Amino acid sequence: MTSNPTDEQAGMGSIQTVRGGTAVSIENVSKWYGNFQVLRDVNLHVATGERIVVCGPSGSGKSTLIRCVNQLEKHQRGRIVVNGTELRPGTKGLPAIRREVGMVFQQFNLFPHLNVIDNCTLALVRARKLARNAAEAVAMENLTRVRIPEQAKKFPAQLSGGQQQRVAIARALCMKPKIMLFDEPTSALDPEMIKEVLDVMTRLADEGMTMICVTHEMGFAREVADRVIFMDGGEIVEQANPAEFFSNPVQVRTRQFLSQLLH
Amino acid sequence: MTFLQILLGIYEGFGITAIVTVLGLLYAIPFALLAGILQHFSTGAARWVVTATIEFWRSSPVIVLLYAFYYSLPAFGINLSAISVGAMVLGLNIGGYGSQSVRAALQTLNRGQREAGLALGLSRIEVLRFVELPQAIAAMTPTFINQAIQLIKGTSLVSLLTLTDMTFRAKEIAQLSYNPVGVYSGLLVAYLIICYPVTIFGRRLERSAAKGRGASHEF
Repeated sequence: MTSNPTDEQAGMGSIQTVRGGTAVSIENVSKWYGNFQVLRDVNLHVATGERIVVCGPSGSGKSTLIRCVNQLEKHQRGRIVVNGTELRPGTKGLPAIRREVGMVFQQFNLFPHLNVIDNCTLALVRARKLARNAAEAVAMENLTRVRIPEQAKKFPAQLSGGQQQRVAIARALCMKPKIMLFDEPTSALDPEMIKEVLDVMTRLADEGMTMICVTHEMGFAREVADRVIFMDGGEIVEQANPAEFFSNPVQVRTRQFLSQLLH
Repeated sequence: MTFLQILLGIYEGFGITAIVTVLGLLYAIPFALLAGILQHFSTGAARWVVTATIEFWRSSPVIVLLYAFYYSLPAFGINLSAISVGAMVLGLNIGGYGSQSVRAALQTLNRGQREAGLALGLSRIEVLRFVELPQAIAAMTPTFINQAIQLIKGTSLVSLLTLTDMTFRAKEIAQLSYNPVGVYSGLLVAYLIICYPVTIFGRRLERSAAKGRGASHEF
């Protein structure tokens, strides 16, 4: 974990800050869709540089949880603090907060009307107000990082799923985020393309990026995660380091889930 | 009178038809975009006002609107030229239909597009402007071309406001030549000659837009 004391903010005294700074604090967060409670009193603290894998059955609230971190979903109770700023309903400057939090979606969500490089530069030019050639330099740098610079002039529809997802990662990285959120990044991919995306994510983790990944790729979790979180029914059922999580799960629900996943 | 003479006679009214069409589009396009976007985003009373405005222009017979604005407004001290009234009524009527294409195109866009834009830190307006509208406009181009053709054909109604458009010319010629069959057949052909190229242009526009995105069948 990298030491970054500036991330420790005043007014967060009640939070147990991990040494090295807290990137994301989720405290007693609950959320309902109508009468259905999708998150139940969730607590999670992610240290700067920490790699978290969140797994669990569908409908367990894991996607909703990470979507609350950049407020694509609003939580109704509890506190979420991202990079030292608390996210409340009506928080001013939400776009500025989101620029520090990259997100990669299951369905890639590239902009089909823009080519690869314009996908990468759009927010740099429009939100960060970078000059076009400076933005393109940043884009090429990040496309190289995900090993796809030769596709810069192509449109998303001309790329394979794996290539599209790597472009989506590059697009998020262009904003130089402090935290990256991955929402089942490989679930929509053909098996032979999963590896190229996981390789990029692994390299990103090695570079010290703070990551929260919702994924069922248990190999990735074992190799990369500092901590694996298991969610079911809107709550965190179990969390542990990967070695412990996979070899010695405590909760019955975790064991059931793992046995279904691994067999 | 030969058929060619009839056609040339009718096309003496082309200027008015063209002016009313172009001015009509200047009303239709902004109104369609603005009303469609506002209807998509507004809620409650604001949405009711937007919907009522759209429905007024969309659900009233064009000829009734033309008469109402041309003959009734002067009673309230508002005197508009026949061209102004024609362009406004036809434009806002077509714009009312167009607004529904805009709203539908925005609604059918994948929610992931908006989320991806927001997640990158764009404001809601920026997402609309740079992510949603370009895709919505591409998606509604075929519908929009259709509506432009409707507008061209609709301009024939301004002949009733004493404007010398193609239809008005045809009526004049028919009365002078006592050849209604030939003249009105000529009028039919005269509109077809104008509208068909627009259809072709629309198809070409669609194809080039699709080529630009590298997928010919995406929308």
